[in-house]
Amino acid sequence: MKRAVAVVGVGQTHHASRRAEVSIAGLVREAIDRALLDAGLEHRDIDAVVLGKAPDMLEGVMQPEQFLAGAVGAHLKPLIRVHTAGSVGASTALAAVTHVASGLYERVLTVAFEKQSEGNAMWALSPTLPFTPPLVAGAGGFFAPYIRAYIARTGAPPHIGPMIAVNARANAARNEYAHLREPMTIEDVLNSPMLWDPIRYLETCPSSDGACAMVIASEEAARRGPRRPAWVKGGASYAEAMWVPGRDQVNPKAGRLCAKAVYDQAGIRDPWKEIDTAEIYVPFSWFEAMWLENLGFCDLGEGWKIVDRGEQRFGAHLPINPSGGVLCTNPIGASGMLRLAEAALQVMGRAGAHQVDGARTALGHAYGGGAQYFAMWVVGSER
Amino acid sequence: MTARLRDVAIVGFAQLPVVARDEHRMAAEMLYPVVREALAQCGVERDDIDYQVAGSTDYMDGRPFGFVMALDVMGSWPPRQDLHLEMDAAFGAHYAWLRMQTGEIDTALVVGHGKTSEGEPARVLNLQLDPYYQAPLGLDPVSTAALQASAFMARTGTTDGDLAEIAARSREAGARNPDAQVRTPASAEELRRTPWAVEPLREGYLPPVGETATCLVLAAAGRAERLCDRPVWIHGVDQRVELQTLGARDLTRSASARLAAERAFQMAGLAAASDVDVVELAAATPVEELILREALGLPRRGGPVVNPSGGPLCANPLMSTGAIRLGECFRQLAGRAGARAVPGARRAIAHATQGHCLQQNLVWVLGTERRWA
Repeated sequence: MKRAVAVVGVGQTHHASRRAEVSIAGLVREAIDRALLDAGLEHRDIDAVVLGKAPDMLEGVMQPEQFLAGAVGAHLKPLIRVHTAGSVGASTALAAVTHVASGLYERVLTVAFEKQSEGNAMWALSPTLPFTPPLVAGAGGFFAPYIRAYIARTGAPPHIGPMIAVNARANAARNEYAHLREPMTIEDVLNSPMLWDPIRYLETCPSSDGACAMVIASEEAARRGPRRPAWVKGGASYAEAMWVPGRDQVNPKAGRLCAKAVYDQAGIRDPWKEIDTAEIYVPFSWFEAMWLENLGFCDLGEGWKIVDRGEQRFGAHLPINPSGGVLCTNPIGASGMLRLAEAALQVMGRAGAHQVDGARTALGHAYGGGAQYFAMWVVGSER
Repeated sequence: MTARLRDVAIVGFAQLPVVARDEHRMAAEMLYPVVREALAQCGVERDDIDYQVAGSTDYMDGRPFGFVMALDVMGSWPPRQDLHLEMDAAFGAHYAWLRMQTGEIDTALVVGHGKTSEGEPARVLNLQLDPYYQAPLGLDPVSTAALQASAFMARTGTTDGDLAEIAARSREAGARNPDAQVRTPASAEELRRTPWAVEPLREGYLPPVGETATCLVLAAAGRAERLCDRPVWIHGVDQRVELQTLGARDLTRSASARLAAERAFQMAGLAAASDVDVVELAAATPVEELILREALGLPRRGGPVVNPSGGPLCANPLMSTGAIRLGECFRQLAGRAGARAVPGARRAIAHATQGHCLQQNLVWVLGTERRWA
C-alpha cells in the first residue's frame, strides 16, 4: 500500500432484535458518536464519509445514505455508499482505507448499519432470479446445500456444526455489545428445530438492529491520536461470477485469491502460525469450518478437525470470533464491519473481556452474495 | 492535499442508445455488449484490466442484490478485485480514480445499469426521501424539482419562457445524438404550450424515463496511451453531499456543487469554468441547469457549449446519467462525437448528481493534454 493507514477509533451499538427506541439515524449516530469519542475527534476533523449497508429492502428506504447525510456528519463532504451483499461492512471499511491511502484524505469516517426490525429479512433476502424458480427460503435455504456438499466431501461428523454454535455463544457471553449472550449446550442445539437441513435454529444467525463505525486515518493523523492505533497491514475485496461451470461454492476461488492478496500485502506466509486471532463471517455454524480451509489456516478437509480439537476456542491456539461473531450478532450490513472492527480492537489490546492475550496480528473477514463477494483485512499492533 | 496526483485518463466509453423499455433483455444482458464494446475500443480483454466497479440500485431492480447479475457479464472469472456502489456509475468512476491514486491498480472497468421499465420510478424514487417526514408526503422527483423551480424563479425572476428556451436548446442538441432517447427537436414556443407536469414545470421541461447500460474504462499514465490513441485526462475531480431535508437547505442554490467545483477546479488549475470548451451537466430540469451554472460560475446563457449530447432532458437513465456526462466529454475531447462534435474542444467539465434537488454533486475537469500547464 502506498501510504500507511490505521484505525484510530472504533464504535458499535448494543445490538438487539428491535432497537425501537431509536430511529435509523439514531442507531447509526450511536455507533459514530462512540467511534469519534474513541478517536478523540469531532465531525469537523473528518474529511469524508463511507457508508455501507445490505439491500435497501431491509428497511424500505432507497439509498438511505441520502437522508442520513446529516446524521453521519457528511454535510458538504464527500460521501459514498457501498453495497456488496453480506460482505458490505468489510468492503465499506476497505473503501475508506482506499480514501486515506490515495493521499487525498487524512481522516475518513466509515459506518455500516442494518435496522432489520424495520422490515422482513426473509422476504428481503429472497431474490427472484431470472429463469430460476424462487427459493423463498432466505439465506439459510440458499447456503444449506453448500454445507451439505462440504460434509459430503470431508466426511465431517454431525456434531461439528453444533460445537461451533455453542462456542460462539460462550464467546458472546464475554462481549457486552453482542445480541445473543445466553450460554447453551450441544443438547440445546440438537433439540432446536431443523430449519434447512443440516442447519438448525440455534446454528443460525439472528436478525439484529445495530451499527458499527470506525475512523480510518493516515499515519501522521494516527500518530497524533490519543490511543495506540491498529495498523492496516493488508486489505482486499474480490468477487466472482455466479454461473461459471466448475465454480466451487464450498471453497470459492474469490475467497482464496482475496486471502492470498491480503497475506502477501501483510507479509504473512503461514496464517496458522502468524495470525493470533480471526473474526470471520459465520452466519451458519458450519461456515466456520469451511472458511478455516478457504482462508488457508489448514489443508482442505481439515477445517472441521480444528473445531473438533477445540483449537479455535477462546484461549486456544487460534481463537475464532472471540466476539461471538455473526452467529450471535447480525445487523447484516454492519456484520462485516464488526468483524474488521473486532480484529482492530484485538490488536489495539482493547477488546475488554474477550481480549485474546497478546494479540498482535488479526484477520477480519466477510463474505456475501452466493459465496461470491469476499472482503478482508489483516491488522497489526505495529506499523 | 498531501500527495502529488497520479495522471489518470478515460480511455473507453460505451453505452446502449437510451430507450423507454428494452423489452427483451434483462439488465445484465443489456450490460454485456457494452462491456465488450468498451474493451474492444481499448483493444484488450478483461484479463488486462485490474479492477471493476459497478453502479446500480436494488430498489429500481425490484430485488435485492441486482448487481450480482452484473458480475458474470463483467467477466468476473477468474475472480476480480471489485466494488459495487449503490450510486450512479460516475461516482464509481471517482472511486476507481481514487484507487488509482493509491498506486495499487492501473486500469479499471466502471459500469452502470438500471432497468427503470421494471418498476415505477416515481414511486420508487419517493422512497429516497427520509421515511419519517418527507416520503409519507408522496413527493416524487418531479414534485420536489417543482418546489425547487418555483423557489428559484421567485429568487431570480426567471420566467417560463427562459425555461422553454433552455429545453429547446437541449432538444435541438439531442436530435444530433444517436444515443439520446428523445431525438425530435422542439421549439421554445412548442415546449411552452406543453401541459404542466407540476407547476411551474411543464412536461416539455422534464426528462423522459428511460434505460440503458454504460461502461467506462479508466487507465493511469503509462497504460492509458497504449489503450487509446487520444486518452482524455482527468485534471481534477471532487464530490460533495448536503443535507437532504428540503426545508433545511436553500433549494435555489447548490452549495455542494459549488464546493465540489471549487475543489475540482483547484486540483485542475482551472481558473474559471468558462475557460473550458464543453460542459455536460446532469440537470434534470432547465432550472437545475441554471442552478448548476451559477454554482460552477458559468454565465446564465452563452459561454462554453452546455450539454451538446442533449443532456438529461433527452436521456436520463437511472444510474448512468452521470456516467454518460463523463462519456460525452470523453467523446467530445477524443474526437468521437460525430455530428455533434464541438470544434476544437480541448477541455471539458462533466457533472453528476444523486438524490432529490441536486443533493449530491460530482464535478470533473477533463482535458486532451496529460497536464495543462
